[in-house]
Amino acid sequence: MVTQINQQELQKIVKAVPMLSPSASRLLQITANPDHDLVEVVNLVKTDANLTARVLKVINSAAFGMANQITSIDRAIAYLGERIIISIAIGDSAGKLFGKELSGYEAAGGDLWKHDLRAAIAAREVVAQSGLDISTELAFTAGLLHDIGKALISDYLQGSVTEAVALISQEEQPHDYLAAEKKLVGFDHTEAGYELAKAWQLPDELAEVIRYHHEPARANEEYRALVYAVHLGDNIAMMGGFGTGADSMRYKLDPGYVNYIKLSPNTLENIMLTVDMEFEKLEESFSDSGEKN
Amino acid sequence: MGQIILGVGDYGASNAPGDDIKTFALGSCVSVIFLDPKTRAVGMAHIALPDSSINKAKATEKPGYFADTAIPALLELMAKSGCDKRGKGMVVKLCGGANVMDTNDTFQIGKRNALAIKKILWSFGMGAIAEDLGGNFSRTVSISVSAGQVTLSSPGKPNWQL
Ligand SMILES: [Fe+2]
Ligand SMILES: [Fe+2]
Repeated sequence: MVTQINQQELQKIVKAVPMLSPSASRLLQITANPDHDLVEVVNLVKTDANLTARVLKVINSAAFGMANQITSIDRAIAYLGERIIISIAIGDSAGKLFGKELSGYEAAGGDLWKHDLRAAIAAREVVAQSGLDISTELAFTAGLLHDIGKALISDYLQGSVTEAVALISQEEQPHDYLAAEKKLVGFDHTEAGYELAKAWQLPDELAEVIRYHHEPARANEEYRALVYAVHLGDNIAMMGGFGTGADSMRYKLDPGYVNYIKLSPNTLENIMLTVDMEFEKLEESFSDSGEKN
Repeated sequence: MGQIILGVGDYGASNAPGDDIKTFALGSCVSVIFLDPKTRAVGMAHIALPDSSINKAKATEKPGYFADTAIPALLELMAKSGCDKRGKGMVVKLCGGANVMDTNDTFQIGKRNALAIKKILWSFGMGAIAEDLGGNFSRTVSISVSAGQVTLSSPGKPNWQL
């Protein structure tokens, strides 16, 4: 049944979500700083035996095809890049939330994580292949977290899919899925996600992406290029067939991205292809190493 | 007797009654469906991009990924079960090719896919008799080999036939 949520209830829902692990949380803080050094990431991972073991398992999984067993965490992190370390840390620390079955969207368990991972890879590629002057790794992390609000409101959207689609298809006042969510339960997934971002004390740029990834023009100017990159990454993930059920493709693409990001049709096609190939590899390495998402 | 599931860039065919060919969540991808009334063989390709010139290696490894390599590959596969090599007499259906709500051409990959596929079909003297293309929603499509029936589904909508 569809249930309206008020501000108070939203706070309750957010409070019920477990906090990120201290190392995942710290990792997000460190890597959001444009001046950080990889050594800081390495030092942090070393303080967490669990995370260290996971990272070593991933690098030694068949997907990476290492000739010899890697036992040095320094080498593992240098090779994998911080985005994969962050994926592992978040997967471990909030895997339940990301792996949740989004029944309110008619999406299976694991669909949200796959969509997020594809949006993350795509956002990173958008930055890399367009030559945008922001961190590719931060674009990845932001992509990974962008839709976390869906896991919060999904239960309240239970049974709403037909009505949501009808709202979007009506001629007089066509909604996108965001507007449909807001009408049906009182909050859309970006507003809900933003509340969780605050509770988790995420860095401002990540909170901004979570809040405005469907309306990048509204984002704080300082972070707008990053928000646009994730906006495009999100759309690329959906176009590639990895949405989260009923809402897939049912959002507006803001053509204002051209003021920040230069993309030719050819580059976009290349990005879509890269996303397919990278995703396969990452998925395989996480599942080989026993990541559960 | 079973279900043949095609991922992105896969193509497959069957003439075994009782088989289903299915592909999930077409976004901007387009599914090309061939039904041969003569041999009762059915084939499908899940095409992601219009043109293989962006990555020849990928096209060799997965010809079903690009419009220009998928259609010849699917015809070749179906010729093995006795279908005409150039697709003579083949019934063609197209679906997918959705686009996000956008006013900018760059992101209309669904449209570009459909156009590229039609061009290649023309070069074989083929054309689609039915299509369900575009819009801003994702589609899952399945064909039953025995009935030659194409069924589409999308969350929030009743299933429909093509
Ligand atoms: Fe979203
Ligand atoms: Fe998304």
